Amino acid sequence: MGYALIGILIGGIIGFLLPYTYNTAYTLYISVAILASLDSVFGGIRANLEGKFNTKIFVTGFFGNALLAAFLAYIGDRLGVPLYYAAIFTFGGRLFDNFAQIRRIWLTKERPVKTTNK
Amino acid sequence: MKLTTPRLMIIIGSILIGIMISNQMKLNLETITPVTIKSIIDSKNELDSIKREILNLEKTIEAKYKELELLESTQTGEASIVDILKQDVRNNKIQAGYSALKGPGIEIVMFDNIDLEELSFNFSNDIIHDVDILNIINDLRIAGAEAISINDQRVMSSSEIKCGGPIIRINGVSIGTPFIIKAIGDPQMLMASINAPGTYGHTLRTVYGIGINPYSSDNIVIHGYQGIIQFDYAKPVGEGG
Repeated sequence: MGYALIGILIGGIIGFLLPYTYNTAYTLYISVAILASLDSVFGGIRANLEGKFNTKIFVTGFFGNALLAAFLAYIGDRLGVPLYYAAIFTFGGRLFDNFAQIRRIWLTKERPVKTTNK
Repeated sequence: MKLTTPRLMIIIGSILIGIMISNQMKLNLETITPVTIKSIIDSKNELDSIKREILNLEKTIEAKYKELELLESTQTGEASIVDILKQDVRNNKIQAGYSALKGPGIEIVMFDNIDLEELSFNFSNDIIHDVDILNIINDLRIAGAEAISINDQRVMSSSEIKCGGPIIRINGVSIGTPFIIKAIGDPQMLMASINAPGTYGHTLRTVYGIGINPYSSDNIVIHGYQGIIQFDYAKPVGEGG
């Protein structure tokens, strides 16, 4: 969790310093893509804690999910149906699932002993 | 904290997310609302109505300029201010409904169902109600009636039409059948608004057996309003609004 936060902070600073911006028309796609990749990162953290992290799965999931979500948003725009809701609900739900699992692993495996000693 | 492959990958991933988020924030967006076909049509209608309003306002400006010219001409002595004001008062009286008007139009004589055979057990279906009169008057207005009276009571914008059993009350005066509704306007249009199949008058006559005898005339006289209009609650706040 900690390094993910540090990573987001670093990325945020880099993003603010970079002079590049994209067209405002793509904001919807990018925001859905952010949600998808956020879910991938949470999944990665969870897999890491569970000890079954696989780099290939992480990388393909990270980019694949983001691209699929952005593509859904784009197709939805073309068809006039807000298809990106599918991405928002799926990844949003999974995000909370992953976070719940991470919390469980943390609280049950490492923390109890330490916190009671405090 | 040892930097293992998973952690490295996660850091790289979160850096990418951070870049995307900060880029998104840099764009400084307002809330995104998807544009639907309905919203486009809505804003188009809104635009049309605003344009129409502008046209109307321009016409008003023109009229006001003419008025101004007229008033300026009094200064040079071409027209007398008293004449202009008298004309104004006359126009206002006509518009307010205080002056008697004459013109082509129709006269409708309405009376209760006189058939011996009863329409139903409910006798209320056989007599004329306030609603019937109201609907007829509304139909006449839709057909472009410029002045309407019922039994020589001028129908004003503030006139009430109230049920009082076998009679109705209008302008505070009780009137009974037969009701004589006079309207000035295009006689053909007014006639159609009462006679055409599907109108309220047609239904009243054919279904309920209410007597409605309209006839058109080139010389309908409608009396002016006799009462006094007084506003207790409403206060003027300037023209238009």
